[in-house]
Amino acid sequence: MAKDPLAEAGFYFDELNKLRVLEPDVSQKTSELKEECKEFVDKIGQFQKIVGGLIELVDELAKEAETEKMKAIGARNLLKSVAKQREAQQQQLQALIAEKKMQLERYRIEYEALSKVESEQNEFIDQFILQK
Amino acid sequence: MRLKTSLLQEPKHKELVSCVGWTSADELYSCSEDHQILKWNLLTSETNLVVKLPDDIYPIDLHWFPKTVGGKKQNQSEIFVLTSTDGKFHLTSKIGRVEKSVEAHKGAVLAGRWNYDGTALITAGEDGQIKIWSKSGMLRSTLASQGSPVYSVAWGPDSDRILYTSGRQLVIKPLQPSAKVIQWKAHDGVVLKVDWNSVNDLILSGGEDCKYKVWDSFGRVLYSSSSHDYPVTSLSWAPDGELFAVGSFNTLRLCDKTGWSYALEKPNTGSVFSLAWSADGTQLAGACGNGHVIFAHVVEQHWEWKNFVITLTKRRTMQVRNVMNDAVDVLEFRDRVIKTSLAYGHLVVATSLQCYVYNSRNWNTPLIFDLKEGTVSLILQAEKSPTPRHLLLVDGAGLYVFSYEGRLISSPKFPGMRADILNAQGVSLSHDTIGIRDKSDEKVILLFDALSGKALGDGKPLTHKLEVVEIALDQSGPSNERKIALIDKNRDLYVTSVRHLGRETKICKLGSMVHSMAWNDAANILCGIQDNQLTVWYYPSVVFTDKELLPTTLLIKDGSEFSRAPHILSYVGTKVTLRQGDGSLVYSNIPPYPALLHEYSASARWEDALRLCRFAKDQSLWACLAGMAMAHRELTTAEMAYAAIGELPRVQYINFIKEQPSKESSLAHMLMFSGQVQEAEATLLQAGLIYQAIRVNIDLFNWERALELAVKHKTHVDTVLAYRGKFLQKFGREETNKRFLQYSEGVEVDWEKVQAKIEMELSNEREKAANSSVRSSVASRR
Repeated sequence: MAKDPLAEAGFYFDELNKLRVLEPDVSQKTSELKEECKEFVDKIGQFQKIVGGLIELVDELAKEAETEKMKAIGARNLLKSVAKQREAQQQQLQALIAEKKMQLERYRIEYEALSKVESEQNEFIDQFILQK
Repeated sequence: MRLKTSLLQEPKHKELVSCVGWTSADELYSCSEDHQILKWNLLTSETNLVVKLPDDIYPIDLHWFPKTVGGKKQNQSEIFVLTSTDGKFHLTSKIGRVEKSVEAHKGAVLAGRWNYDGTALITAGEDGQIKIWSKSGMLRSTLASQGSPVYSVAWGPDSDRILYTSGRQLVIKPLQPSAKVIQWKAHDGVVLKVDWNSVNDLILSGGEDCKYKVWDSFGRVLYSSSSHDYPVTSLSWAPDGELFAVGSFNTLRLCDKTGWSYALEKPNTGSVFSLAWSADGTQLAGACGNGHVIFAHVVEQHWEWKNFVITLTKRRTMQVRNVMNDAVDVLEFRDRVIKTSLAYGHLVVATSLQCYVYNSRNWNTPLIFDLKEGTVSLILQAEKSPTPRHLLLVDGAGLYVFSYEGRLISSPKFPGMRADILNAQGVSLSHDTIGIRDKSDEKVILLFDALSGKALGDGKPLTHKLEVVEIALDQSGPSNERKIALIDKNRDLYVTSVRHLGRETKICKLGSMVHSMAWNDAANILCGIQDNQLTVWYYPSVVFTDKELLPTTLLIKDGSEFSRAPHILSYVGTKVTLRQGDGSLVYSNIPPYPALLHEYSASARWEDALRLCRFAKDQSLWACLAGMAMAHRELTTAEMAYAAIGELPRVQYINFIKEQPSKESSLAHMLMFSGQVQEAEATLLQAGLIYQAIRVNIDLFNWERALELAVKHKTHVDTVLAYRGKFLQKFGREETNKRFLQYSEGVEVDWEKVQAKIEMELSNEREKAANSSVRSSVASRR
């Protein structure tokens, strides 16, 4: 094919027969590139959005995990202290029980003494009746 | 008995409460490390801020100036001493104004206490010094100084000694510099608190070894508690000395004065740093480590008499239970119950303003009368059936005898009286007499007529040779035979008559090692704890007529049924109630015969008395009857009783008395029988029976006196010499007595003459007696 003199001068006609300085191929490629770039930017944006969501989600999770952890620690401490509390309570109750036991012992002695008095009195009454 | 505690939901103080103090029975001041002083009104349950102290004052101890001194009200405006960590004490008025701040110690002032009459203040500091200050805060002296902090200090009952802590030791130091200091190791840890009661003279201490202990004022331990879980941080005697409270971490304990514990409370208080009883002994307040102030009062006290059991269910409510038919009555009072006594079928309840007297037959309508002073500290009852009955009330100001109708009968007074420290061991009431142990000289017992309030007899009190610990008047029998039993410091039991005519009183010993005693409520029978055995003296007066009979009139109950240190609470009817060292009540039954015998002898029914003794077949009963009959000069009965217990010499002597020619000589020989030789001789001489008087002395080998009488009355000198000669001959001895030698020179001894003279004397006496009896019978016929 004979060389187009225009082309040699660097002028080209496009499909719409408009005069162009750029080669139609290049121009096409350029516009294609532009398209692709746009697409890429869009995709990147999308990606960023997704990643942002993810980070947020993870952050939230972390927070939740943290509170749960704190809760767990608290619960664990509480458990420990409950054990101690129970111990103290037990100690208190033991003291109260000991006190009641002492009282019971006193009542037992009193009861025994009274039973003895009763038997003595019965004996006395029997004796009295017999002698009469 | 237990403590009923009340605690607010939220603490009023922001920091730990360090000290509390009562102003009246219903108002309390509390100080805290948040620098606030709060006033708690229990009637309105309001809490007000009195003052906010400067930020650099951290209060430690508070003590109100004593309100009443020896019965007189203090005119001075009410102030209290507040000690603080900066080494100062502050005299502060009721409205919270700091009147005076005094630099007292290096380091904190750990305790500050007024003495009982408010004339001196004592402070103890972290620097180990104890200082005495005047009422206005001028330094008088530094009483002691030591290397370790003094945590607590207390005044002795007469404000003449102080007790303080020194590490693990306790020290009693008299204020007089020369007097002896008592110091002893009290605890295995540092002693944190001490208290000394003025009524019972007992000391309390508590320390870091988690124990509390009760001591007497000589430093002998009376009770040592078992180890608690936490150190004992506070303790306090109730003002009447019957109870005390102990505070520790989350712990409040109510104990009897003998140390055993009535009740334990576990309130949520933190450590109780200070405890205070209100002046009437009904309320207790505690300063708690967590900012609370805990209030408590004593409920569920019991009183028993025969078939009635009375319980204090609430502050103002009592429940009366008749165990015979299970009937229950509820008694309501307008004010708080302060003191109660149940005896002789009557319940006497003293509240803060009034006194209620209930008859056990009718619980609905009490007799009510008003009281002058609020805080009754002791109630005693007496009765002589059916009347008169009365009761003795003791309050801070004095002693008052009221009839059961509420009329003030008398109010005995004596110089130096301190009614606020009288206790049941030191005062005794019978229906006609009041006995009070003198606090200033404990050897002396003051006796008063209950109806007039005046001192008995010539006003001279009864004086014993040793300090008296406990006294008790017998409850029945005629007034002129009133007797008082007393236990002295050596724990010997004595009995003596209260109303004596002219003669020196004879204080007769009944027993030794007696720790506690009580008279029967209806008969003059005494029971006591003698060396851990229960001993009953069926007829204590026998010591006045025939001392040697005493051991036979005893009932000794085996001590094995009682544990350590029993104490007699009451002896009603045939039942003795005792409290053992561990707090348990035990009862002992006494045969009813001696009481019956007392009744018969009092009403002179000797036939019935003899029949009773024959029925009971008891040696001790016969011995009692012998003693009673001799005391009433009932010779026939006495002869039979002595015969029954095999006392033949005495039977013979009674026969001899019966054969006496005249009344006077038999009376004299009866006096001789009970060992009253001088009285016997006096009786004979008074009746002009010189020969009999001489004869009595001859029979007792009292030669000198016989001769003296004979010479003085110029008769029977030869008789004396004759008998003396016979006596010497029998023992194969020579006459050495100068007077006898002198008289024997001038007097011829002729036995026949002597015999004849004696015969004549006796027949003369007989004749005289016959004449006088005829004369008296003629007179009586006219």
